[in-house]
Amino acid sequence: MSPNQSQDSQDIETATTAILPSPLWAASGQAALESSRILVISASATSTSILKNLVLPGIGHFTILDPQVASHEDIGNNFFLEGLDSLGKPRAEEAVRLLCELNDSVEGKANLSSLEEVLEKDPTYLTSFTLIIAHNLKLPLLTKLSTFLWSKKHGPSLMIVRSAGFLAEFFIQFHEHTVVDSHSETAPSLRIDKPFKALHDHAVSINFDSLDDMEHGHVPYVVILVQAMENWKAKHGGPPQAYAEKQEFKKSVEAMRRKIDEENFDEAFAQAYRAWTPTTVPSDIAALFNDDALQQPLTSLPTHSAIFFHLVAALKKFTSESPYTLPLSSTLPDMKADTNSYIHLQTLYKQQAEVEKARFKSLIGPELVIDDDTIDEFVRNVHGLRLLRGKPFGAFDRDQAALVAALSATPKEVATHLALSALSVVLAQGSSKDVTAVRLRSEVNAITGPFEWPEDAELNLGNALGELARAPTAELPNTAALLGGLVAQEAIKIITRQYVPVKGYCVIDLIGSWTGTIDG
Amino acid sequence: MNGQTHPETVDWPNRYYHIDQILDRPGPRTDSEFMAGDAVKDFLRNDCKILCIGAGGLGCEILANLALSGFKDVHVIDMDTIDISNLNRQFLFRPADVGRPKAIVAAEYVMKRVPGVKVTPYFGKIQDKDESYYMQFNIIICGLDSVEARRWINATLYQMADAENPESIKPLIDGGTEGFKGQARVIIPDVTSCYECSLDMLNKPVTFPICTIANTPRLPEHCIEWASVLEWPRIHKDKKLDTDNPDHIGWLYNIASARAKEFSIEGVTWSLTQGVVKNIIPAIASTNAIVAASCCNEAFKIATTSAPYLDNYFMVIGTDGVYSYTFEYERRPDCPVCGGESRNVDVNREWTLERFIESLTERQDFQIKKPSLSTSTPTVAGKTRLYFQAPPQFELETRPNLEKKLVDLVSEGGEISVTSTSLPFNLTLRIHYV
Repeated sequence: MSPNQSQDSQDIETATTAILPSPLWAASGQAALESSRILVISASATSTSILKNLVLPGIGHFTILDPQVASHEDIGNNFFLEGLDSLGKPRAEEAVRLLCELNDSVEGKANLSSLEEVLEKDPTYLTSFTLIIAHNLKLPLLTKLSTFLWSKKHGPSLMIVRSAGFLAEFFIQFHEHTVVDSHSETAPSLRIDKPFKALHDHAVSINFDSLDDMEHGHVPYVVILVQAMENWKAKHGGPPQAYAEKQEFKKSVEAMRRKIDEENFDEAFAQAYRAWTPTTVPSDIAALFNDDALQQPLTSLPTHSAIFFHLVAALKKFTSESPYTLPLSSTLPDMKADTNSYIHLQTLYKQQAEVEKARFKSLIGPELVIDDDTIDEFVRNVHGLRLLRGKPFGAFDRDQAALVAALSATPKEVATHLALSALSVVLAQGSSKDVTAVRLRSEVNAITGPFEWPEDAELNLGNALGELARAPTAELPNTAALLGGLVAQEAIKIITRQYVPVKGYCVIDLIGSWTGTIDG
Repeated sequence: MNGQTHPETVDWPNRYYHIDQILDRPGPRTDSEFMAGDAVKDFLRNDCKILCIGAGGLGCEILANLALSGFKDVHVIDMDTIDISNLNRQFLFRPADVGRPKAIVAAEYVMKRVPGVKVTPYFGKIQDKDESYYMQFNIIICGLDSVEARRWINATLYQMADAENPESIKPLIDGGTEGFKGQARVIIPDVTSCYECSLDMLNKPVTFPICTIANTPRLPEHCIEWASVLEWPRIHKDKKLDTDNPDHIGWLYNIASARAKEFSIEGVTWSLTQGVVKNIIPAIASTNAIVAASCCNEAFKIATTSAPYLDNYFMVIGTDGVYSYTFEYERRPDCPVCGGESRNVDVNREWTLERFIESLTERQDFQIKKPSLSTSTPTVAGKTRLYFQAPPQFELETRPNLEKKLVDLVSEGGEISVTSTSLPFNLTLRIHYV
């Protein structure tokens, strides 16, 4: 039994007692989740819905910060309170107890202090968490919290969630967020247009005429195209350029076919464009090379983003050498072939990928020691690297040019967002009785300044304001549950650094049953 | 808990403080028919009867949401028992519940947590119940991972719908998830498009050609398919493969690993083995929460008229930011359930009846197994039965037709009626020879 097998059979045994990790974010993502510490401010129905979807997949620790005791209202809409049994008890403690029942590997804690106290006496407590989530926090307190966290460049990201009735939004505050494994669906280049030497030599060594019918129908399309292109270049001096030439090239591929039902030639014909499309560095990756972070001396702090930029700097050097591409991917997609030709081709790709990875490693600067697994992961996912630069909470509302631009691009999203911003202002000044559509409208005006609303956005705004005036403090169970799913999913992306989180605002309207994002 | 479930004692003051803000007054987009205040609350909490089909990943979420939303007469159907692998997302179940029926455990849990809500479970198949059962509900929500069950309930509700009797029109809200992707839709019989209209939109399950599996394996998946499709029936004869049984998966994993080793193929793992044989993308708690909430939100809006409901399709993808799309899925005039027109099918003039039947079973928009065919216009030989799978005497009688060309059995423009045990309705095809 190989070591791999024994590991797996152990997994089978433990599977009967432990909760299996989701294969959607792999062991590395699961490990990140399991070592994460989440702070959730308030034990509202929305907060516990979010936590439910984080406790189930197995975060390491969560704390609910909430000094309130459960009211009649709370026990009516929160699944993580036990009806009248929870009435009058600290809602953080009740919620922690019931949430922990979902997964005994998760540690939960109730902190009955108020956020005011924490911010005043021990703000560094906040920075001990990986991520902080705040739901319907009073505006002055939210401003204090977000300002404090923004001042800590390497502090935790803050997810700000606001909801009333059928309307809601959330915003993720981070300075920058780097993603290596974005689970991009774009396939990396196979470099058919510029084959590495071993691929080239292998492809031109195949004598198609000497193959029997079975072999001929199982030559991988990559090999067919490389040879066809070499023959074309020998005749024409370079790859096909004009449309007619490309069609001519495709005909030359078709001419190599022996029988009508050879599926490998079907694939070669369909994939022919890969032979003439030049493999270059994708534009979004090239954009990383010009990022400000690379213009400054690299830090020696082993943070995620320092490691990321360190590796991007090495990548920049790598791509400035021949063949001016990203390091080769070792993954070969499936294609019509017999086992031997496929495995042989796969081995060629793997070997070349190893060579290029070694070259890449030699270009990494000495300032930071980076382990091999991290480098492997970077090279494996290099075509999908992502860098998100965020803004502090509230910056969008203060930036009139950005508001105007976003309003024309995404009118209903911006109208709903501004309505929710206005509601925060009104609720901070008084009680829910003060909330009227007229009052909200004047607060929107105060935010945007003098501004001519386009007709459709005006209609959207009127709808949103009317809806907020109808239910200014309503935390509907379904809205809470939907936010619970969306916010937890974004939290998982932030923690695992896999997939791509929302940048800016995500706005939700459960009357129109839509969601939208504002790049604010 | 004091055990009392009488509504007056259970509905403590301000229990519905949050929801009542919506029910006490209309919003700008609310329909004028909305009866704000006691009338709508009374209907929601005392009259409205709602059915949740499925008590799995979506079902658990749906039941909790409905209970908190104020639905008090909730029914749930599920034929499964709880498996250890369900616990990472089906949050009403605990390790001690493994092996018990999902519907019963979920109902007990929700009733205990949300006092005053009556959840009536049924541990069994949806097909066990007839029209009189489904007729009692105002709304039906479906949280299933089975295409077959959804087609059945969709067709059943359409058959029940009688334009003369508004009570017979049952809104069906259907949710589904796959990894980070999900969708929710509202189906109103005779008003919107139906589940069958969109059948061809489903992703075709990945299948590998048998010759690749048998002769030229290249991927770990090919080795796993070899173990499950070829080796399992060869070694275990009639014993059915149970993809929920860890012993069975373990056996496949070992066989697939050995084959992979033989062919120098890397990457056969236990979880890949499970993924391939179950042919599903794993479900996650967060997507389930999003889709279930969306379904329940539509149910709440339909039940209360407090806001317009989804018309009629919402899909969401969470891999790159949050991308969603809300649109009206249009009716298909030749939908066999809601369309009324027969489906035009092009047939190769050279095809035998057998080849034609094979082509039907391959089509993504039909998804039928073992169809029986008859023609409305008697064939040349004066018979209406073309080929019947059962009973045996009909099968025997119609078997010789299989080798005949279809063109000799059914004339151009003629209609063929297709039935199958996997098909909860008759499919009518109009034949065009090409």
